Order: sequence, then structure tokens, then C-alpha cells
Amino acid sequence: MCQSPTGSMQTRPSSTRSLLDIDDLSRDEIASVIRRSGEFRTKLPDRSLLAGVPVLNLFFEASTRTATSFTLAEQRVGADVISFAPGTSSLGKGETIADTAITLRAIGVRVIVVRHNESGFPRRLAESFDGHVVNAGDGTRAHPTQALLDLATLHAEFGRFEGLRVAIVGDILHSRVARSNIVGMKMLGIDVTLVGPPTLLPDDFAQDGVRIERDFDAVLPRVDAVMMLRVQRERIAASLLPALADYTIGYQLGTQRLRLLPKGAVILHPGPYNRGVELTDEALADPRSRYEAQVTNGVYIRMAALDLLVNGLAVGA
Amino acid sequence: MRVLIRGGRVIDPSRGLDAVRDVAIDGGIIRAISEHIEERGHEIIDASNCVVAPGFIDMHVHLREPGQTHKETIATGTAAAVAGGFTAVACMPNTTPAIDTPAVIAEIAQRVAQAGMARVYPIGAITRGREGKQLAPYHELAAAGAVAFSDDGNTVENVRVLRNAALYSRDVRGPFISHCLDDELHGDAVMNEGMQSAILGLPASPRLAEDVIVARDVLVAADTRKAWHIAHVSTATSLDIIRWARSRSTTLTCEVTPHHLLLHDDLFIDYHARAKVAPPLRGENDSAALRAGVRDGTIDVFATDHAPHTLEEKAQLLSIAPVGFSGLEIAVGAYAHALPDLPLTRFITLISTRPAQILGVEGGTLAVGARADVTIFGERPWTVDARAFYSKGKNTPFDGSKFGRRVIATVVGGRLAYHVDRGIIEPLAYA
Repeated sequence: MCQSPTGSMQTRPSSTRSLLDIDDLSRDEIASVIRRSGEFRTKLPDRSLLAGVPVLNLFFEASTRTATSFTLAEQRVGADVISFAPGTSSLGKGETIADTAITLRAIGVRVIVVRHNESGFPRRLAESFDGHVVNAGDGTRAHPTQALLDLATLHAEFGRFEGLRVAIVGDILHSRVARSNIVGMKMLGIDVTLVGPPTLLPDDFAQDGVRIERDFDAVLPRVDAVMMLRVQRERIAASLLPALADYTIGYQLGTQRLRLLPKGAVILHPGPYNRGVELTDEALADPRSRYEAQVTNGVYIRMAALDLLVNGLAVGA
Repeated sequence: MRVLIRGGRVIDPSRGLDAVRDVAIDGGIIRAISEHIEERGHEIIDASNCVVAPGFIDMHVHLREPGQTHKETIATGTAAAVAGGFTAVACMPNTTPAIDTPAVIAEIAQRVAQAGMARVYPIGAITRGREGKQLAPYHELAAAGAVAFSDDGNTVENVRVLRNAALYSRDVRGPFISHCLDDELHGDAVMNEGMQSAILGLPASPRLAEDVIVARDVLVAADTRKAWHIAHVSTATSLDIIRWARSRSTTLTCEVTPHHLLLHDDLFIDYHARAKVAPPLRGENDSAALRAGVRDGTIDVFATDHAPHTLEEKAQLLSIAPVGFSGLEIAVGAYAHALPDLPLTRFITLISTRPAQILGVEGGTLAVGARADVTIFGERPWTVDARAFYSKGKNTPFDGSKFGRRVIATVVGGRLAYHVDRGIIEPLAYA
């Protein structure tokens, strides 16, 4: 009875195509972005792909890795890069989101890479912005380029997605990385298991193709990859956890559990990690850890995603 | 002024009447109801193929005056009321200042006398400033015209304060109306907790936040023997708790809104706040339980929780935008849409007779000699257009919905205040 807009999916090619979550891309496009990122890694393109395209990095929430990674990616495809960190929520109060979008477009911005502490902000911005919006992380909602780089890391390791078994462990409730990965992994036929305590992983997360397990030890021997999420100290004050030390008993990846993880499996972490909390120094140093590869892939993935949004699928892709 | 309502199906649950009749009104009073009344200088309202009912009463409305007149005024809010078929509304005390002194009630009464289209019954606060700490002056407020007491919008968190308030005011006319959401559990939620909030990554309020306070309040009601009314019940469990409590007390009543009967927590995928409301829209199990609760009599009253805000306020980020939306002008269509098989006698009982009884006000009847507050409605398909609302709050998640039942005319105190073909009758001096 009550219609709601169905979201931001646009038919391509479009001058206003946005990447708000990973399912704004088709399976083929995800594969294409991952393939392109591999090509860029082998040989950097010349700086013509986005030559002269004004790209605004609009980070309302502090970020070091993601902002740096995006900036480098933008420069490597030749964009005119502007970065602006307005601080949390200075927009959306006085000036409306729509007014902001119109103003930025009038200035000449064609791509906005946005991070905001509120879920849905990029979607609201994209509604009114006549250009491309790339979500660099919104609240606890989505972080599509992180999911793409995680998938690229898995693909580099296993050469396939279908049938892979991945466990995502920790504070799922507050994780935009987990949400985007769940969406992307389901699209690609990856078998997803979520692990965590019920306060950080409510039963409501169980859905088609996504399992919830509380016993980390039982899950570990059966996975191809385990993704360890950061657990923040503020969850203690919010009475979601008694203490980080208590959390480690059930959910830390350390010496004992590393033995349960198959030899051919990999360890992923979206960073920044808390050594000694969700994983130990030993886990980080483990040869199965792919943290650095993930970060490196991030730049190439963001180059490829920007190229896809602005220029469409490459010929022959 | 003489008015003759001609040829309508007159349904008056208070007297068990359901028959085609003419209704003659003179001097603001219902003078005669019979099969045929001769016209003698009457203004005629053609009610053929329509239902003629005692005037509708919405016992849960936010009129925003004094203090928040950018959202709504007594003038615009009561215009919206008569356009929605309501001859009377009870207004909640979360104004600025709150309705916690006789002076505020007097101010409201003055504004109603100047610009009111419908009757307005003020609801006094339970605690001063609605802060949950000190008791409001119930005797004074009741003497000034308060018909009930509520801190609506806030839950009285301190149960000692709530119990003392109920004990002290037990013999003051007018029930407590409780808004039931535990502050700590509700937190900064913007929607219902469930699979939808898990997917959307939005802060969410569990059903438990409502259920624990409903359970607490029915116990406080039983302990203190204060007449008690639970506002906007939204969960299946709350309704079960009320069933249990009702089996032990006859002075416990409750209400349901149009939106909780019909809408669910799937309206946030675009991250707009148009459906943000407290308590939040729940799931299909809950709305089905609420509809069953209307049918089986657990739910006493239809009330809209009309909570107007400006479009600019509602267009803000989901976290900042205020809760609530307009309800008066969609109510009749929405209730019928939710419960198409509900007998008309029950419909009128829920929207007129029972609210009058619970608030202890005149109305809810078409008895000869009674005040001529009359609502005429019919089955006439229409589409909700929020921009055309008389309310300043031009926002509803029902915008664009197609409904079957529509208000045809509203008569307040013997005066035609609204007609579907003419709109609001009197030019609004304050417009």
C-alpha cells in the first residue's frame, strides 16, 4: 500500500551511478572490478581514466586508512582530488542534505566519496546529487569498497567464490564491513557463518544463506577464511560486554584456535585491529594472515570501482 | 441555526440504534430522530447512502500550542480534526510550556474559543514539566478542565513517582494515559528491532522496551486502583499483558493507532524519517495481533496519535528527525482499510462512544437532547494527499494510499464545520 523508493539502483550506463552498497553492482561487475584491480596491480594505468574529473572526499567521520587509500586511488586514475572533513553532522542540520548536494554539483563536483557516522547518509545524498556517490562507510550500514577488497583478497587466494566457506567473527551488530560482506558473499555463492555473542550478534541476523554459530571452535576447522572484526572498548560501557578479557575466551583468534584453522585457510581483518583483543600477535604474524594484502588491494579496488562508475564497463569486459 | 441530516443510516451504539432516519438539530441540540422530518427552515445535509454517527473523538492528539506553533496550532489542528470527522480531540501536554498549570489550560481554552473548529479537551501532565520527578497539581488541572493525565512522549521512569502520582490522584476524575517505552532499552532507536534493522544497520528499539513498561504500568494501575489507559499499544505481547490485566480490572483501557494496525518496519529502506514514530512500526505478527485485539474487544479505542511536524523537520537525517506524523485526516480511511469487516457499530464505539466514556466527557451519543456533535461518513474511494491536509504537518507514511471510507460531513455543536464537497465551512479568520 505504501510505496517506498526501491533504492538507488540505476540502469547503466548512467551519469549518476552510485556505489552505496556492494549490491549496486551485479555479479559480473563485481568480477570485473576485481579483475581490473588485479590488472592495475600488475601495471598501473596512465592517469587518463578519470583525467580532470573533480572528485570530492567528504569524510564526516575520521579515517586514516580509507581516506588515504581513496586519495591515492583517485590520484592514480588522474582525478582532480578535493578533500574536506567537515566534522560530524555539520550537514543535514542547517542546510538540508538536498541543498548540499545541489551546491556541490554546482561547484562542479562529479564524484563524492563520502563517509558519515549515520547509516543511510550516502543514500540520502545520492538522491539529490546529480553525479556519482561512493560510500566510504556509513554508520553501521555499509562499506562496499572494503567488501570488494576483501573479496578480491579471497579471489586472489582461491581463484573462485562459489562454495567458499567464510566465518565473520565478532561485533557484527556494529559492523558495516560485516553487513557489506554478507551482502556481497551471498551474491557470489559464498557460505557465510557469523560468530559472536548474542549482544553483538543478535538472532535477527540469521537469514537465507547466513548461519549463526556461537561456538567459534566448532566453526574454525570448517572454514576457508575467517574474518576477525574489531571489538571496541565502548561496548563495555554499553553493557554489551563484561570485559575484553572475557570476550577473548569465546571469540579471540589466538594460539589454540590457530591450530583449529585449516592450513589452506586465510585470516582477514578489515582493520584497524586491536592486538590482544580479537586476535593475538601470533595470529597477525601467522602466514595465513592476509591483512597487508587486503590493505594493498584496497587502492586498486578503489581505482577499478571509480573507473567502473564513471566510465562504465571496460570494452571486452 | 437548524440543520436537518436527511436519509442517513443512523448508528448510535449508546442506544442500540441502527436504522435509516432523519436527524433534526436546533440550537446545537439534537431535537428529533425519526423516519421523516419535515423541513422547516433547516439547512439540509444529504446523508443518503451514508452513515450518521455520534461525533468522533480522538483522545490522542498533539496540537502543539502553546509553544510549537510552527508545527501546528489549535486552529489548524482542529481544522484537521473536523476534516477527519472528529468533533472533539484530547490534546497531549507535551507543549511548550507543558500543560502542567491551570494557566496553560486557560490559554488553550482561550485559543479554542477564538479559533477552534472542534472541541478540545486538554490532558494534563502527570509530572511537572513532564520531567518524571514532581507530581503535577491534579486537582487544579482537573478543575481547569483537564480530562486525563499523561506525560506522553516520555515514560515516567521512576516507579515510586508514578505510584505516588496515581495514589494521590486516584479520586481525581480522569485516567492516567501512559506512554510505554523504557528509556534505556529504547535508547537512540529510530525503528523497531528485528531483521529489518539488522539489515539496514539502524539503531533499533526492541519490543521489550514497550512490553516491560506496559507490564509495570498495569501492575501500578492495579496496585493504586487508578483508572488507567495504555496509549498506542504496538506489540502482540503488550496486548497479551493487557488481556491478563483486564481480567482483573475493569478500569484499564487501551488504544491503537492507524499506523500500528497497518504499517510495518519495512519502511526505512530509503533512510527517510517519514515513518519514524514512537513506539516504532513493528512486524506483521504485531499488526495482526492488534487487529485481532480490536475484533475481540481487548482494544477499546481508536486514537491517531496525530503528531504533526514540518516537512523540513521530517526531512532531516533519520537520527535527528522528530518522531510522529499527522493522523487526523487519514484516520477514518485507515481504520476501515485495516478492519474492513469490523461491524460499523463496533467502529463507532471505538472512535466515539468509548473515548467519551473513558474521558468522562459529553458525546458519543445521538440521544435526543444531547449536544449535536455528529459525524457523517460513507464508502467513497479516495487517495491520501498529505499536501492537501489542513494540518500543518503535511507528512504521513500513508501518503498516496487509497482508502474506501471517507468523512462526508462533520457537525460540531449543531453547526456544519466540514463537508467533503465544500471543505472547512467557516473561513478561518486566523489563516
